[in-house]
Amino acid sequence: MKTIIEPFRIKSVEPIYFNTKEERTANLKKAHYNPFLIDSKDVLIDLLTDSGTSAMSSLQWAGIMKGDESYAGSPSFYEFKKAVQDITHMPQVIPTHQGRASEKILFSITGGKGKYFLSNTLFDTTRANIEFSGAEGIDLLCEEGKKPTVPAPFKGNMDIDALRKTVIEKGAANIPMVIITVTNNSGGGQPVSMQNIKDARKVCNEYNIPLFIDACRFAENAYFIKLREEGYQNKSVREIANEMFSYADGCTMSAKKDAFANIGGFLAMHSEELALQCRNLLIITEGFPTYGGLAGRDLEAIAIGLNEVLDEHYLQYRIRSIEYLTEKLVAAGVPVMQPGGGHAVYLDAKAFLPHIPVDQYPGQSLVCALYEEGGIRGVEIGSLMFGKYDSYKKLIPAQMELVRLAIPRRVYTQSHIDYVAEVIIEVFNKRNELKGLEITEETPLLRHFTAKLKPVK
Amino acid sequence: MKQIIKRSWAEPFKIKMVELLKMTTPAQRKKAMKEAGFNTFLLKSEDVYIDLLTDSGTSAMSDRQWAGMMLGDEAYAGSKNFYHLEEVVKEVYGYKFLVPTHQGRGAEHILSQIMIKKGDVIPGNMYFTTTRLHQELAGGRFEDVIIDIAHDSENEYVFKGDIDLKKLEALIKKHGAGKIPYVCVATTVNMAGGQPVSMKNLKDLRILTKKHGIKIILDMTRVAENAYFVQQREKGYDKKTIKQIVKEICSYTDGATMSAKKDALVNIGGFLAINDWDVFEEARNMVVVYEGLHTYGGLAGRDMEAMAIGIMESVNDDHIKARVGQVIYLGDKMMEYGIPIVKPVGGHGIFVDAKKFLPHIKQDDFPAQTLAAEIYLDSGVRTMERGVVSAGRKANGENYYPKLELVRFTIPRRVYTQAHMDVIAESTARVFERRNKIKGLKMVYEPKYLRFFQARFEQL
Repeated sequence: MKTIIEPFRIKSVEPIYFNTKEERTANLKKAHYNPFLIDSKDVLIDLLTDSGTSAMSSLQWAGIMKGDESYAGSPSFYEFKKAVQDITHMPQVIPTHQGRASEKILFSITGGKGKYFLSNTLFDTTRANIEFSGAEGIDLLCEEGKKPTVPAPFKGNMDIDALRKTVIEKGAANIPMVIITVTNNSGGGQPVSMQNIKDARKVCNEYNIPLFIDACRFAENAYFIKLREEGYQNKSVREIANEMFSYADGCTMSAKKDAFANIGGFLAMHSEELALQCRNLLIITEGFPTYGGLAGRDLEAIAIGLNEVLDEHYLQYRIRSIEYLTEKLVAAGVPVMQPGGGHAVYLDAKAFLPHIPVDQYPGQSLVCALYEEGGIRGVEIGSLMFGKYDSYKKLIPAQMELVRLAIPRRVYTQSHIDYVAEVIIEVFNKRNELKGLEITEETPLLRHFTAKLKPVK
Repeated sequence: MKQIIKRSWAEPFKIKMVELLKMTTPAQRKKAMKEAGFNTFLLKSEDVYIDLLTDSGTSAMSDRQWAGMMLGDEAYAGSKNFYHLEEVVKEVYGYKFLVPTHQGRGAEHILSQIMIKKGDVIPGNMYFTTTRLHQELAGGRFEDVIIDIAHDSENEYVFKGDIDLKKLEALIKKHGAGKIPYVCVATTVNMAGGQPVSMKNLKDLRILTKKHGIKIILDMTRVAENAYFVQQREKGYDKKTIKQIVKEICSYTDGATMSAKKDALVNIGGFLAINDWDVFEEARNMVVVYEGLHTYGGLAGRDMEAMAIGIMESVNDDHIKARVGQVIYLGDKMMEYGIPIVKPVGGHGIFVDAKKFLPHIKQDDFPAQTLAAEIYLDSGVRTMERGVVSAGRKANGENYYPKLELVRFTIPRRVYTQAHMDVIAESTARVFERRNKIKGLKMVYEPKYLRFFQARFEQL
C-alpha cells in the first residue's frame, strides 16, 4: 500500500513555543501535577483532547465570515438544521453551545432519582450530568472491551445479555433511555458494530425504551463499520451513518469532535413533544432555539464540517494516523490499547507501571512523565477521572487505568507523531523510576479537571 | 435655523466589510408575518430588512477583533486567550476573579444557583426576563426597588434607573438582611428603556448595603453606555473618561454578571466576575458541569480574544459618543413626528409607548405585540415587544400587567447608517398615521417559560 497522505494542504499555521525540561519540571509542580492546570503556551504537543481543537478548513472559515448573527431566524441556523437532518434524518434539531449542554437539557427532563441510564460506557461529563439529575448511570461494556491489549474489531459494543438482564432487574419503567456512545471514548475510542446497535434496538423495542446515540464521533464509527463489518464495504460512510441513526430515537452531539468545530453541539430527535420540553429549557440556559447559545458563524462552520467529515479520504487518513502511532508503540513493546481507536491512542498504565498501585494513580503519573520528558500533554482516564470512595473513604478504582493521547483533527503532521512515539518510548525505557501520586485537593463532581496532587514520598 | 446636532455622532470608523440585505414586498411580508404567528421573534432573518430585534450579539466587530479571532488558542485547558481576557477584565472593571461563560444567562444561572437559597428575596432596579427567571428557579423572589418615576414614560428625569433606597430599606426591615443575598443593579435598565443609574445612587446604595452586610451584584451588560450618561449628566464627571467612570461604577459592587454580546461588541460570550474567593471557587466548579472547563467556559478561544479586544474598544470615549449619539438621533426624529416614546432616550434603543400609540387596544389584546407586527408589515423593520407578553405569568398563573407597554427598537452597534435610521423613523410615522385602523391580537400558543420568545398570535 502506498503512503496515505493528508487530503489537504496547510493554509494557516500556529507557532509552537519550545521549552526546556527544567522549565517543564517547574511548570508541572506549579500545576500541582495536573496537566489540566498547565498553560497551553507551555505545551509542545497538546493531546489533551480532540474536542474543539481541530483545524477548520478554508471553507469553514469562509462560513465563519458568512455567519448571520440575527438573534432569531438566522439563515445560518437553517443551513445547520439541514446538515444535521441529512445525516440523522431526525426532524427536531436543537443547537447548543456544546455537547454537555445537550446532555444537561436531555437528562434534566428524562432523569431524576430512581432512574437508570444504561450505556456501553458513559463519558465523564455525560455521567456527571446524569448523576446531577439524581439518576444513576450503568455501563454495560462487552467483555472484550475490558481487555486493553487483546485485539477485537468492535470493542465498543454493548453487552446485550447484560442489557436485557439489567432492564429486567431495574424495571423498564425506571429506565428513561439506553445510550450508545460511538465511538466508545472512555473505552479506548473503540467502535460499536451495526449489529450491536440493531440488537440494542431490539431489546429497547421489547421493553419500549427509547434509544439515544451519543454521536460525537459518529463518522469515525461509521468508517470502522465500513472497514470491519460484513456487508458494508460497498456502502458510503454517509449511508452507514444514516443507518446507525435510523435505529435511534434521538442523539446528543458535541460538534467539537467529528464536525471539526471549535465550539458547538446539538440535540436531535424524532419526538416533537420531547423537543418542545427541551426547547423550553434551552431558552433558560442556552439561548433562543435558532441559535442555542452559539454565534451564527459557528452554526455555519458546523454545517460545513458535518459534510467534510464524511469524506472517505479524510477518514482513511484519520484512522490510519492513529494506527501508525499504535504500530510504532507496539513494536517497541509499549502496552497500548489494541487495535487503535478512532481518535486517540490509549496507553495501559497498569501494565506500563505495574509497581504503582491504583490508589497512587499510575495513569496520572504517566501523564506527568510524558509532559516532563517531551512537553506532551495527555489525560488520565482511570481512577482519577472515574474513581469513587466507599463509606470508609477508600478508593473504588475504575475498571481500567488508561492514558489517552487524543489526536486533534488535521492539526499535527507525521513528524509530530514520530516525536510523540519517541518520547513515549523514552519514558517506557525508564519506567521504573516513575513514582505514584496522592491527591491534596479535589471537588465532588468532575474532580479530575481541577484536582491538585503531589508525588508520594 | 435648526440646531446642528445630527453630525455630532459621526462614526469613529469606516466600513471594512458589508453584509447584503434583501428587500421584500408588502405581500411577502404579510405572508412571512402570518407564518411567524405575529411574533417578530419567529420571523426568518432573511425576511427582515432592518433588524432591531436586539442589540445582543448583533454588533459589527472591528478588524482588530477579527484579527483576534485568528489568534484563537483552542487548547481545552489554559488557553492564552483566557489569560488575556482575565487581564482585561481586571484592568477595565477591577474585579478580582473571572469565570467565562458562553453568554450572560450562563453567568446568571451559576450566580443564582450559588448565592440564592429558597425563600430569599432579591431586590433589583426593575426585572429582566432571564435574570428574574434564574432567581425564581433558584428558589428566590425578585422585588422591584426602582424609583417610581421609572414607570412613567413621560417623566424626563435623567437617571430613571436609580434605586429607591427607601423601598430597599423597607424591604430589609420586612425580611431581614439575612434573606437578601444581594441587590441586583442593572446598568443600564433595559426594561425601563435603557435608562441609566447615577453614580450618587450607587454610592448611597453601597453605604446602605454595607451597613446591613448585603452584597451588590452588577448586571453590567451596558455599563459603558451607563457611564456615558454619567459623564454627560452628572456633576463632577464631565472631565472623566468613560474608562474611569466604568471602573468607579464597578468599585461600588462586589461582582457582576456580563453578557458581552452588548457593550463588549462580540457575537457570543459572557462572564461572571467576583471579588469573593469562596463564590469564585464554587462558580469555577459549577461552570465545568454547565458550560465548560473554567479556562474556556463554553467559548472558543477566539471568542475570548474578540471579547478582550471588544471590552477595550467599548470604553473608548469616541465610540460610546457615536453609539449613543445614533440612538438619540433616531429618538429626535421620532419625536419630530409626534410618536410617543420613553423619555429621555436611553442608551441602546428607542422604546415606543404602545399604550399611547394605540390607546384603543386594551392590554389583554397586546398593543405592543400588535405594533411590532404592524411596523414589520409596513417596512420590514423588525422590533420587539416589551410589555404584557414579555412580563409573563405569576406563580399563581395570573398575568403580570406591567405599567410600561413598549415596543423596543434596539440599535445594533456599528451596523446601521444614518439613512437606515431615517427609514425606521419614517416607517413608524406611517404606521402612526393610520393607527386608528389597527386591531389587537389574541394569543393562540403559550410556552411555559419566557413565553415572548415562542408565543403565537392571530389577528382579532
